[in-house]
Amino acid sequence: MSPEMTETEIQKVRQGIKAKYDRVAAAGTGGCFQYPTGKAGMELQGYPPEVLKVFPPEVMAAFCGVGNPFSLEPLTPGDAVLDIGCGAGVDSLVAAHLVGAGGRVVGLDVTPAMVESARALLSRLGLGNVTFQVGEAEALPFPDASFDAVISNGVFNLTFDKEKALEETHRVMKPGGRLMLADMVLVAALPPDQAGKVENWFQ
Amino acid sequence: MPGKDFLALMLKVGFHRVALRSYTGFKSSPYTEGALFYGEKLIPGQARDDVASQAEPPAAPLTDPACKPGGT
Repeated sequence: MSPEMTETEIQKVRQGIKAKYDRVAAAGTGGCFQYPTGKAGMELQGYPPEVLKVFPPEVMAAFCGVGNPFSLEPLTPGDAVLDIGCGAGVDSLVAAHLVGAGGRVVGLDVTPAMVESARALLSRLGLGNVTFQVGEAEALPFPDASFDAVISNGVFNLTFDKEKALEETHRVMKPGGRLMLADMVLVAALPPDQAGKVENWFQ
Repeated sequence: MPGKDFLALMLKVGFHRVALRSYTGFKSSPYTEGALFYGEKLIPGQARDDVASQAEPPAAPLTDPACKPGGT
């Protein structure tokens, strides 16, 4: 976060993020993102073909990730997985499919409307090994060493205290646990007149 | 936040074998692009593997990855 941000700007960013994801929860991903979403986005990012084959179109339509965390390392059947900032839950459901009935997945999101969307999509798949709950990345509501793997997709860039969010992630991982993260990063310097603009936080 | 700064934070909080494996080609602005990060939590008694850890990410693609070779 820019150290020059005022409390008013921080509140504007929080409101902007909430408003954006309330819109996504209510109306879907269309028009809210600059990159491909839905099934097209999953295909472009190389999601497992067996997932693309069996997931209902309405589930894949909710995908708005910035990459494919599952391309980093395979999940193992039986793994306990946390999806931080699960949104409508597509990656949580993919993880639940991959870890099988012997594994478990928790999807966590700060936006209650997105958690409700995730629960609605879960009902389409009937998976019994995944749950969704509201919570923040900077204060994960789980005991130490709870998860074999943590995934996240396009979320840490929206957190205000990234170090705290990473500390919390590290805390809830079991020793040897894997962090598999897709996220937006700066790849070019912002022009001076763009730097610090509140709108940049939720582009 | 640039990828190298995020890698530094991952190392700071205790992850090892951290890496920015690749960029995803999905851009949310002319200045921001998706990236894939990996890291592991140490097992007690395990030596840190910082050889495998990156301090700097590989260079981001210079061209717009949405433009396929031969495309417009």
